[in-house]
Amino acid sequence: MTNVASNVIKEKLVNLKTTIPIAFKILFSNSFYIAMVGVVSTIFWIFFNSFDQLLFFSPIISFYLPDDAIPGFILTNITSILMGILVAMNVHVIRNSKIKLDKSLLSGSILGIASSACASCSSLGFLVISIFGRFGTIATDLLTNYQIPLRIISICILLWALYSVQNRITKRCILDDVFVNRQRENSHHHPQ
Amino acid sequence: MNKSVFVFILVVILTISVITTIGVDVTGVNNFKTVFAQIQARQSDVALSNLIKQGQPYQGSKSSPVSLIMFGDFQCHDCDRFVKYTEPQINSTYVKTGKVALVFVHIPNKGFDSWPAALAAQCTNDQGKFWQFHKLLYNNQGPIDSGWVSIPNLKKFAFQISGLNMQEFTSCFDNQKYKALAEHDLALAHAFGFTNSPSFIVTKSDGSNPQKIEGAQPFIAFKTVIDKELGA
Repeated sequence: MTNVASNVIKEKLVNLKTTIPIAFKILFSNSFYIAMVGVVSTIFWIFFNSFDQLLFFSPIISFYLPDDAIPGFILTNITSILMGILVAMNVHVIRNSKIKLDKSLLSGSILGIASSACASCSSLGFLVISIFGRFGTIATDLLTNYQIPLRIISICILLWALYSVQNRITKRCILDDVFVNRQRENSHHHPQ
Repeated sequence: MNKSVFVFILVVILTISVITTIGVDVTGVNNFKTVFAQIQARQSDVALSNLIKQGQPYQGSKSSPVSLIMFGDFQCHDCDRFVKYTEPQINSTYVKTGKVALVFVHIPNKGFDSWPAALAAQCTNDQGKFWQFHKLLYNNQGPIDSGWVSIPNLKKFAFQISGLNMQEFTSCFDNQKYKALAEHDLALAHAFGFTNSPSFIVTKSDGSNPQKIEGAQPFIAFKTVIDKELGA
């Protein structure tokens, strides 16, 4: 039983070695998607760093990275880049697939976006406090105290969402490939 | 799931994130007209002489031409960042040279334990030990409401301060002597539109021409505003 499970995992990992480069090649061969990754990543980078009090717009525009902020900064950079790739891949799937989008794609990307956005919830503590009072204080305490683990969880969710989206991109290619090969075979067997 | 619904949700999320980002910095920080009106109305409240009279802890000369008023909380992580990285530079450049007086105003709203921490700190100010206590608390800062500034722990911290009369401190702390002052501080912070800490006001010593700075910003941001206020 464990052998079967480990074989399945091994097979999936081997598949990933092939499918991930294909998915990235498809995405980054088009300048529109490269621009989209850049724009979305930048928007989220600004969003996260403003809430983390590393990027300021007033009284002067300044960026500031003290030692204690480095682990959080690394995690938000990863999140921002993943967000950019994820959104671009989703848009690619929407534009190119003829199949009906199912719930897993939606939950993958939306959950990813929501969770990563929530990683900076702690910085919104004052808003939550003013809206929800004492209950809000407890909620923001949790978000502030567990900021780093929450960010790691959000990255894991994003990676999972990315895995499911790249599967959709590459599966379509593989299906297309199979379709083309079958057509070729058919044309060999039944020359017109 | 309909494609258009999915695209719509994606666009909504991205729009919200962009608006929030812009909103925080434009609406929250630079809602200039409203905030300016509030500051003008409370100019006397931030005059250095009045702040000292009220019992606010301060560093520097009473005759400093400019005041930097910090609205802080002992449980606030960003306040700790300011105290560790930016405050020493402000101190050496402006406070020790007599150009700026640094005043501390409490905004104890990060957690339940922020309030007793503010009251305890204010009690140490009675004996001229506020800045030592302030440093001690920030050096030992723990997670919010984890008990690191519980009432017994605050007494333990106070005990570590050399020369502090513990009997006097305990009497002040147990009787919540500075409850009214802390409430006044919080009201003052809200009057300026501050809900988060650390927040700052840079003003001339008579309280005129106040400038807001929000967040644990780098020294250069403070330098820009202070130099302008000093007329440099």
